Amino acid sequence: MPTILVLDDSATMVMSLSHILKGAGYDVETGMNGREGITKLTDGIKPSVILTDLNMPELDGIGFIKEARKISSTRFTPIIVLTTESGGRKRDEARAAGASGWLTKPAEPNQLLSVVKQLCPTR
Amino acid sequence: MGETVEANERIVCAILAEQVAALRERMDGTAAFDLLWRTSALLSWLSGLLGDVSAHSTYSTHANPVLERERAEAITEIAEIKRALDDLAFLQAQRQDFAKQIADCVVTALERMAVAEMPPGTSFSSADLAALYVSADQRKLHEDVLRRISPA
Repeated sequence: MPTILVLDDSATMVMSLSHILKGAGYDVETGMNGREGITKLTDGIKPSVILTDLNMPELDGIGFIKEARKISSTRFTPIIVLTTESGGRKRDEARAAGASGWLTKPAEPNQLLSVVKQLCPTR
Repeated sequence: MGETVEANERIVCAILAEQVAALRERMDGTAAFDLLWRTSALLSWLSGLLGDVSAHSTYSTHANPVLERERAEAITEIAEIKRALDDLAFLQAQRQDFAKQIADCVVTALERMAVAEMPPGTSFSSADLAALYVSADQRKLHEDVLRRISPA
């Protein structure tokens, strides 16, 4: 089963995303900030897709993407930013850091799943 | 006189910051989300169970066509309700997250305005406030208010 790494400082969002992704046939690993995400990656988790919020404590989404791109196993892993930010400047900043795509909250579950399935189809 | 007014304003800001922080803590919908997800999982289970019952009954010599039709209708209805519950839980989670972020922004702004060490005469500007925003919606609201209250 493909693994999706979900990073968000909102426990409710993490639970909600996990529920939707598990229901669609994915394994889910979670973290409450970018630092926890990097720890998961360096511990050997190899996600097929990463979903990350931008505004998080300790290490924010942009910082996480930059760090993740330095790790060989996630250099080319699709990273989708899921955030309340919809401004062009933040989007450019995330893209420059290495983000692959962008979803603005509130997003529909179908919208989210269609992006994830496109990047990582389940059998 | 001016210093007394500033001190009073700082006290009001400190109290308001605590009030909004308390309000933020009450925005916890964990129990409701948990119930929604459990209901959704239960519906999945029921749907699977109905499918199994149907598969079993096809081997029976007493298969009832009316029951079979109702079972199929129930499975369709369960799938629709489950999808609606999942959509609702996900959208509500995002709305709650957004509301908490706005509350965090207000608390941070009020806490900064309440700082006693601020040199007299200095203030927390609207630009300082805008730097705390985490969404385009907040920025748009900010711009709308500035347009509304700025002298023509």
